[in-house]
Amino acid sequence: MADWRRHRILMVSDFFYPNFGGVESHIYYLSQCLLELGHKVVVMTHAYANRSGVRYMTGGLKVYYIPWKPFLMQNTLPTFYGTLPIIRNILIREKISLVHGHQAFSTLCHEALMHARTMGYKVVFTDHSLYGFADIGSIHMNKVLQFTLADVSQAICVSHTSKENTVLRSSLPPAKVFVIPNAVDTAMFTPAPERLKSDEIVIVVISRLVYRKGADLLVEVIPEVCRLFPQVRFIVGGDGPKRVRLEEMREKHSLQDRVEMLGAVPHARVRSVLISGHIFLNSSLTEAFCIAILEAASCGLLTVSTRVGGVPEVLPDDMVVLAEPDPVDMVRAIKKAIALLPRIDPQEMHARMKKLYDWRDVARRTEIVYDRALKCSNQNLLDRLSRLQLISKKCLTWYNSIIKMKRF
Amino acid sequence: MGDKQSGVHAKYDYIHDQESSPSPLDAHHVEVRRSGAKPVAACFFAALVSAYAFFAFYSKEKPNILAVWGIPLGALLMMKLCWRTVKKESVLIMPTFGVQLETHYRSGRIIRRFVPMGKILKPVLQECVTPVTCYWCLSLLLRDEEQLMLVFKEIRSPLKMLIPIWKALCAAADEGGGLEECGPDG
Repeated sequence: MADWRRHRILMVSDFFYPNFGGVESHIYYLSQCLLELGHKVVVMTHAYANRSGVRYMTGGLKVYYIPWKPFLMQNTLPTFYGTLPIIRNILIREKISLVHGHQAFSTLCHEALMHARTMGYKVVFTDHSLYGFADIGSIHMNKVLQFTLADVSQAICVSHTSKENTVLRSSLPPAKVFVIPNAVDTAMFTPAPERLKSDEIVIVVISRLVYRKGADLLVEVIPEVCRLFPQVRFIVGGDGPKRVRLEEMREKHSLQDRVEMLGAVPHARVRSVLISGHIFLNSSLTEAFCIAILEAASCGLLTVSTRVGGVPEVLPDDMVVLAEPDPVDMVRAIKKAIALLPRIDPQEMHARMKKLYDWRDVARRTEIVYDRALKCSNQNLLDRLSRLQLISKKCLTWYNSIIKMKRF
Repeated sequence: MGDKQSGVHAKYDYIHDQESSPSPLDAHHVEVRRSGAKPVAACFFAALVSAYAFFAFYSKEKPNILAVWGIPLGALLMMKLCWRTVKKESVLIMPTFGVQLETHYRSGRIIRRFVPMGKILKPVLQECVTPVTCYWCLSLLLRDEEQLMLVFKEIRSPLKMLIPIWKALCAAADEGGGLEECGPDG
């Protein structure tokens, strides 16, 4: 308690409200809990439509919506020098002590971390996703990550699998990487007051209907499960390019009365959809953590999920049935889950989730990371350049030019 | 009676004039301190353009398109520099009557805007964010208008200079708003 220091944190990411997602909710809930702990938090992101300028959210959370238009997948156009004036302006006027960037895919985050390090600020980076090593996109992304994380003070990953992935991709020393899992707002995601009848079993799927979230697996799994279990019904919430495939599957197998497609579900309505089901099905092909299954477990649903990425670390064995990302194994897992259903008590599951996951705990652990980051020794320019030299001579030449430009 | 405050900003001076008779007029001026850099830069640029024009005109070679268009463009730029240079911006508060906003340019041009007191809903201090900077500005929230009216159109004075002006506008707007609510029956 005597060592407590009030931090002034700048959270930077291209992904924030009004978008909803894992990264967005992580930044929001973490910021709210840090404000509760007495720290000052400011968020910086790009403008969304006509949401531009300074806005204040719950708890006095100040958000800068910088009028830089996103150019690809919600990412700001990478200009390297272009964001330096506004980032420097915000760092000085808000008297920031530490910069916390989120998500490897955010160009604004990378630029902010680079400029903050050059100005002598301590920086912390949180990686929320898993990336590959083989395809051209991943190779490029990993190179950018190596450059940005070359002199980051500390890093945070949301699971041990994610830590392994980040360390391999960015060549960061593992001692610098902390594992702090995400959490869930158990006050918002509560079970239905009355237990659902078991004569009909409802399986809920809520995800973006894209390749990465295993929408193609659903196309194989749903008809087979409907054939094997006449009492099973599906509710599919979400939208995306793969929605057409699911609609076609529904038409082909005449499952209109057994598969209900809700389309995009606003985040505020997710709980009402979850509590209408018994089982939550997650078919993702890659997940660093998966907040969706936390939300489902908090609502008292038994989860069936693919055993990918960090998913096995998220829930206890009696709350989740894991399967390989293969239609046959997933059908087997759903069969096992249906057999386990009578033993599931939603209220007891919710109570356990309240003890296991809490955003206030995430904030306290993140506070420790901030304290550790601020205690890191100041690296001089030669140390930083020597780390960059390990990455690539080209990166080094280019980085030298940035330093010269900033000093001029 | 003038009360000159130079404030913490190196670029602006804040002057507050308050007259009590015959009619109370509360005047707030923000003057731009004259810097030596701009006139020197303007003269240097003018000399450069003149020398280039002279060289291009008397050169034996055919003048290229850059020389032909460079001269009038350079002259236009210099005119803009001189014509658009702001000398000061003023806020004249006439209680119960209205607020006059003035922009004085170095060329002698003055732009005046009058806002009746009853039209002002609330003066607000807000942060403006551009792609390269963020600054405080004082605006007027007007009745039946969607857009805010900027009090200082050209100058970006610091927050410490805006606060006393904002307080004076709030006081005047509250007074004017109170009389407005009384209605024709008093």
